Amino acid sequence: MPEPILQVENLYVEFKIDEGIVRAVNGISFDLRAGETLGIVGESGSGKTVLNLAMLGLIPQPPGKITSGSARYRDEELLKMNDKRLSQIRGHRIAMIFQDPMTALNPFLAVEEQLTEVTRLHLGHTHDEAIKHAITMLDKVGIPSAEKRIFDYPHQFSGGMRQRVMIAMALSCNPDILIADEPTTSLDVTIQSQILDLMKELQKTEGTSIILITHDLGVVAKACHRVLVMYAGKIVERADADSLFANPRHPYTRGLLESVPRWDSERGDSLQAIPGQPPHLVDLPTGCSFYERCTYRQDSCRESVPNLVDRPDDGQFACFVNIDQVKPKELV
Amino acid sequence: MSEAVLTARLADTARDRSKPLLEVRDLTVHFPFRHGSLFNPQHGFIRAVDGVSFDVAEGETLGIVGESGCGKSTTARAIVNLVRRTSGEVRYNGQRIDGLSESAMRPFRADLQMIFQDPFASLNPRMTVGSIIAEPMKIFKLHDAKNRTLEVMRLMDLVGLNPRFLNRYPHEFSGGQRQRIGIARALAVQPKLIICDEPVSALDVSIQAQVINLLMELQQKLGLAYVFIAHDLAVVRHIAHRVGVMYLGRLVELADGRELYANPRHPYTQALLSAAPIPDPKAERDRKRIELTGEVPSPDREYAGCSFADRCPIAETACRETVPQLEGDAHRAACFKAE
Repeated sequence: MPEPILQVENLYVEFKIDEGIVRAVNGISFDLRAGETLGIVGESGSGKTVLNLAMLGLIPQPPGKITSGSARYRDEELLKMNDKRLSQIRGHRIAMIFQDPMTALNPFLAVEEQLTEVTRLHLGHTHDEAIKHAITMLDKVGIPSAEKRIFDYPHQFSGGMRQRVMIAMALSCNPDILIADEPTTSLDVTIQSQILDLMKELQKTEGTSIILITHDLGVVAKACHRVLVMYAGKIVERADADSLFANPRHPYTRGLLESVPRWDSERGDSLQAIPGQPPHLVDLPTGCSFYERCTYRQDSCRESVPNLVDRPDDGQFACFVNIDQVKPKELV
Repeated sequence: MSEAVLTARLADTARDRSKPLLEVRDLTVHFPFRHGSLFNPQHGFIRAVDGVSFDVAEGETLGIVGESGCGKSTTARAIVNLVRRTSGEVRYNGQRIDGLSESAMRPFRADLQMIFQDPFASLNPRMTVGSIIAEPMKIFKLHDAKNRTLEVMRLMDLVGLNPRFLNRYPHEFSGGQRQRIGIARALAVQPKLIICDEPVSALDVSIQAQVINLLMELQQKLGLAYVFIAHDLAVVRHIAHRVGVMYLGRLVELADGRELYANPRHPYTQALLSAAPIPDPKAERDRKRIELTGEVPSPDREYAGCSFADRCPIAETACRETVPQLEGDAHRAACFKAE
């Protein structure tokens, strides 16, 4: 098994707001292995973005606070690192791309300036070297006539092209880890497919490890080797993608898979929606936080929090119930 | 299969398509724009919708899919006169409603309602849920004041909202609940046809399924017809009886839902279907993918031939010379090379 390049252990992040304390990340541990794509799936508010921002020191403190935990990149602890060292790693060894390429690029600066800034800073390129390198990168991500387009401004690119520019920027220092936060959510399916193929291709040639944050199970199926499913700040299930889709053990994972319309479903079959709403992170219920919405729940689920236990493969899930042996109830 | 589903199926086959509720013929919407320098202005047109025709029968769902900028939302808005059409006809129950003045259009507005994509932007944050849902009834002078509140509560119950929340404001509700408020508001005037413009794309998957189920249930109970616009192919396949695919302002394929997804005839539909990911890693790996090069071009150009020809894997010279029309009986495609 390849060595983990990033190890996160027992990470807790909370935010102080008027109503109380929001526990956005509630004890998360995971490894990222070299050269793999790890998917993190969950709905809005499940903590998937905060988790990744916290590792890179991008949580504003206050109101945010990393209360405990560790995140080790190779042999260095990211959470205790000083700002100087952290900014050497950020954008250089660990790079990030965001959901909305329009707001992530500076509209006042030509793409050239934004692309060369990274390599001049991290790799000590001269102006000419940096431009040459940036053109190679744009070429690599499939932007036609890169040597001309590099002097254009973000608004002169389409959404798909902008996301390619973001990818070029993120990969220009050849990082070990690429964190992609919903990279294709604002793109059309044909463009999404091009961008995911591009990321896969670059991973093959450069050996980059990718954390892909998404809410789209189709994207996970297409792009990820292993998957973490998050709910209310916790990991509720983890497994390699094939086993997870074939044999979900947690009721929430099963619920998610059953609530997406499938190509092979017939019109008129009603979808198995998950009832209710995700809980408010300020007052999480005692016991399992999925209890309110769970069709497999038992009375005992209310009393204690289920820990992660092993799946038949090398994955884990956090549920007391064997969902194959319990009949789902109708919830009112 | 549940009994409700079975009756729905039977109703599907019995539906009368000979007398359509809504007829759209050669609908065209062009937006003029000016470019070039201040002293040498050039005039052009964005061809947002370029000759679109279709029918919607009573109680039927017509899905319209396509990528951003293909004109699906403009088509929806042009049907209900929210944008002015450039040419073409729209008939509701046999009567022409295109180009009507706001006052002449008003009687039709009760029958033709709309649900919008963004449940955060489409509800007035200063109005309570009760007054939002009652507003259309006031405009159409339905019910007296007391019965109106009862009716609002009935509607809230119908769409799965607790009627006790009558006096709450939109910000107190989650996205899925807000979309339910939008649906209740559309139902307040007992419409026959609801145009749903990306009604579930802003919602999380688990909530999306709740809203889709609600829309389908309401269709069965109330005999509603939907024009359902979305970019998510799987969602449209799930909810629509018939599906139309749009590209650059044109309808390139129109067929029965099951048939369209099983045997797409237009090369663009084929590429679109092959690009949409399936939530199943094994199926994903085994798929044959049709890669489209480039992106959707800007709709400001007039094409002598097929507007898809530049990206089409099977285009020939002839495709660039004449515009293909939608052809076929039940399964129609606008392509010279479609089998």
